[in-house]
Amino acid sequence: MKNTIRLGAGSGFWGDGIDPAMELLEGGELDYMGFDFLAELTMALLQRQKLKNPQAGYVPDAVQYISQMIPLAMSRGTRLISNGGGVNPRAAGERIAEQARSQGFQGKRIAVVEGDDLLDKLDHMIASGVSLSNMETGDSNFESIHSRLVAANVYTDSSGVIESLVQGADIVITGRISDNAVYVGPIMHEFGWKHDAEHADRIAAAIVMGHIVECSSACTGGMSSRFADMPHMGRPGFPYFDISADGTAELSKLPGTGGHVDAFTVKEHMVYEIHDPRRYLMPDGIPDFTTIKLTETGPDRVKVSGATGQPAPDQLKLILAYSDGWIGESLALFPWPNAYQRAVKARETMLERFERMGLKSSQIQFDFVGLNTLHGPAAPMPDMQTLNNMNEIGLRCAVRTETREEAEKIRRAASHLWIMGPGGTSFGTPIKPRPVMSLWPTLIPREFVNQTVAILEA
Amino acid sequence: MSKILADICYIRSGDKGDTCTAGLIAKTPQDYPVLLRSVTREAVRDLYGDWVQHDVECYPMDNIQSLVVVMKGALGGGATQTLRLDQTGKALGHGLLRLAVRE
Repeated sequence: MKNTIRLGAGSGFWGDGIDPAMELLEGGELDYMGFDFLAELTMALLQRQKLKNPQAGYVPDAVQYISQMIPLAMSRGTRLISNGGGVNPRAAGERIAEQARSQGFQGKRIAVVEGDDLLDKLDHMIASGVSLSNMETGDSNFESIHSRLVAANVYTDSSGVIESLVQGADIVITGRISDNAVYVGPIMHEFGWKHDAEHADRIAAAIVMGHIVECSSACTGGMSSRFADMPHMGRPGFPYFDISADGTAELSKLPGTGGHVDAFTVKEHMVYEIHDPRRYLMPDGIPDFTTIKLTETGPDRVKVSGATGQPAPDQLKLILAYSDGWIGESLALFPWPNAYQRAVKARETMLERFERMGLKSSQIQFDFVGLNTLHGPAAPMPDMQTLNNMNEIGLRCAVRTETREEAEKIRRAASHLWIMGPGGTSFGTPIKPRPVMSLWPTLIPREFVNQTVAILEA
Repeated sequence: MSKILADICYIRSGDKGDTCTAGLIAKTPQDYPVLLRSVTREAVRDLYGDWVQHDVECYPMDNIQSLVVVMKGALGGGATQTLRLDQTGKALGHGLLRLAVRE
């Protein structure tokens, strides 16, 4: 057993850049590189793609990035772990195996972790007495969405990743494991930790480190309030950390890369999307973020220690995604002079068009871009003189409808502003309507989840 | 001129479903107690009006001089169905920096 292992972040979301990951893989001497590609909505988007094409349903970037990294990763001895298998980890694994073979890496082992897709098991769960009540709204009427379900994926723990590594995997590709499980799995594997009370504090430490790095450059200067102090964010350093068997870790980035790692950049990401910091509920455990100590130990280097936590919860979070109508959207900009008055007049004209066109909608929202789009009622309105002296103001409209046909009316009404609108009205390309997928989060007992591992040889 | 939260702390915010979580980070250790007493559930609800529909909870983190503000029903239904441009509340949380500081 090694005293410390080194893990690096290769991706923080579907759409992240690959070059900082390549740079870290090249120079970071990593034991593992993790790639998180999934957000709450991603599984439903992927499920939709899979319905059209049974070979789709994974995050294309995951396959492309990992395939591109195979030669470097194999020569460096770095194992790659990603949840980018989405709703079709097997197809992703097969594509990666083909790519490995074509690059001369016969015999390399690609593990496919499945078991998070519960779409076919919901009826069985209901028959077994699971209520599937919405944990956010308290709504227990699951039948109201049953026929419109698109995806049902449960946040699973790192067990499948650990089993994959036990079986000698060089690359692990999974479905919906928690973002941080991509990192927790290899740490637990290397140090031989079990999901029990004895290891709860150390697993908490691993979850905390996974949380800090899972959004890649978000802990090295990305998304920062101190953005002006962050050099060269077009070439950000993706984070890596060394973690010891006692759970203590040191976080850093490669010299010469952009951004910073200091106590502040780490704090910025520690507070991100955690809800109650004393109980960050994750499938591998429940860390308490209020016992963590941060110490700057060198340039771009921060020690993270003191983690405590409780063992994994008995219930897991299942997200059901269902079709829920459409959104039509439009945007137009208006010039000085009297930009605000022009935008107000355009709003009035659009509402008249909606009426004439017989628009059926459940919700209509107008924003004045430059004034209240982002903070709504929290944004103070300038006085009328200031408003009308502004260089430009936008009018954004978004409408919720049941059908695509109704949503198309927003695009048409906005286009009518070309000539019916006030002088100076300007557009870009009209925005296409988009289908809405609503989410229904619920808690289910762990025993309904059974992760499986299959090894594919390149 | 009286101080606002932007003078004493930074922020990062995001989403889970229809909940917006915002982490306020004190600029200095001296700013931390001021931050804690300046951010109340009532002040947050008054600031956002009908853009925050349900409960607001505040969780102090003494170890990193930060305060996590959890706002429920704050994203117009959540990222996948909201009519807002800021679907995941990344910008919404910054509105908290407008709150008045209680010296």
